Amino acid sequence: MGWKAVARSAIGTGHQKQGLPCQDYGGDRIFNHLLIGAVADGAGSAQYADLGAKLAVTTAIAHLASTEIWLRQRQRSWQKLQQPFSQRQAERLFVSTLKRVLYVFRQQADRGGYTISELACTLIAFMVTPYWIAAMQIGDGSIVVRSQFRKEYQLLFKPDKGEYFNQTTFVTSSNAFADLRVQVLAQQPKFICAATDGIERVAFRLQDWTPGQPFFKWLEEYMQETENPQTEDECLIRLLESQELNRQTDDDKTLLLCLYN
Amino acid sequence: MPVGLPEFVENPENRCPVVLLLDTSSSMSGQPIQELCRGVGVFKEDVLRDTKASLSVEVAIVSFGPVELIQDFVTVDQLTPPKLEADGYTPMGEAVEYAIDLLDGRKEVYKTNGIQYYRPWIFLITDGAPTDVWQNAAQRIREGEAEGKFAFFAVAVEGADLATLKQLVPLERPPVLLNGLDFQSLFVWLSASMKRVSSGKVGEVLALPPVGWGQITT
Repeated sequence: MGWKAVARSAIGTGHQKQGLPCQDYGGDRIFNHLLIGAVADGAGSAQYADLGAKLAVTTAIAHLASTEIWLRQRQRSWQKLQQPFSQRQAERLFVSTLKRVLYVFRQQADRGGYTISELACTLIAFMVTPYWIAAMQIGDGSIVVRSQFRKEYQLLFKPDKGEYFNQTTFVTSSNAFADLRVQVLAQQPKFICAATDGIERVAFRLQDWTPGQPFFKWLEEYMQETENPQTEDECLIRLLESQELNRQTDDDKTLLLCLYN
Repeated sequence: MPVGLPEFVENPENRCPVVLLLDTSSSMSGQPIQELCRGVGVFKEDVLRDTKASLSVEVAIVSFGPVELIQDFVTVDQLTPPKLEADGYTPMGEAVEYAIDLLDGRKEVYKTNGIQYYRPWIFLITDGAPTDVWQNAAQRIREGEAEGKFAFFAVAVEGADLATLKQLVPLERPPVLLNGLDFQSLFVWLSASMKRVSSGKVGEVLALPPVGWGQITT
């Protein structure tokens, strides 16, 4: 019994044409029954967006992991917590995560002699146990969850779109703390898919943001049938690099898939 | 392991709306109006060369005067370059307000149908001076620009009242004086700009192609 997870990104055809790197990043860390995950999408307008996305993901994961390590040193653990923590506790945890990310950004920007807006990116981060998930999101992208005893896939936060297709909030935006969204869901999570906005056109009915059930079911089955998703990732990479997907978007795409078995 | 690819959700294309606001007052008669019509045709052909843009860019054409909706919003492949006739006054103020209302209506249609859209453009082409009250239109342009509701571009054909046009448009985007009757280059530029807009990245500040078809009047 435990979590398995895999995060993969693929560069968008638009970035390829312009000679830009992939500006998406995703990662995870597993402590038996506790999984910590994050994905970020670097802003096209930021010079070091690829670095920003990677730093945001690794910093958020390290920060959340440090809280678990701290608990363990005291013979406690997030995974022993069968009752999820309150919305307020979750907000405190993720505000401190965002502060930590901005602190690391500032250090990086100072070293490089540029402003932190050159590292601008969106950020999704979460902690999940077999009993609950606590998640945060700044900017666009999506986290979809299926609970053990439910058939439907549910979208935790409706993507944070401005009026126009190409607008969003970044961790470096002045309104990042105000736009930080936090949710705790106590419904025995079984499958989680966190993604950047590159996949939204094929994964959601955009009219009302309903998750495409067959799309997410396929991803869950892939995780179900894959013994070691870190090494057996051809299927996922084939999807992310497929012409069918690239016809729908020229943006970078990232999927972080998690399954509890 | 699952085979092939997952079933994708089918969504409508993102839209990139543009309103062409064309002066058809009597001073445009003769060669100017013919070149203008030909320019619209060039625009259509050029956008169609880009698959993504041809599915995204939606055009409406409003002529003045009098103010008339020649073509409601259609994707470019459905656009028939209009036969414009130059005759009448220059109710530019009325035309601008009509265009802004038209865009507001279009956005409602997009929202109702869950269609994502880019910041719309209003593209005014004139060789004259408004013959109606235009101050309210100027205020709506500036407010709309400031709120990011649309981007307003004014193109002056020789003979246009540049002093008034400058008061009509936002300071940061002064009118551009067209070289002679080079509508073709103007519309190729508009097409190139629309292609860029319709493939825009998240949060990207859009760099438009250089204006080779006129002089920016500052």
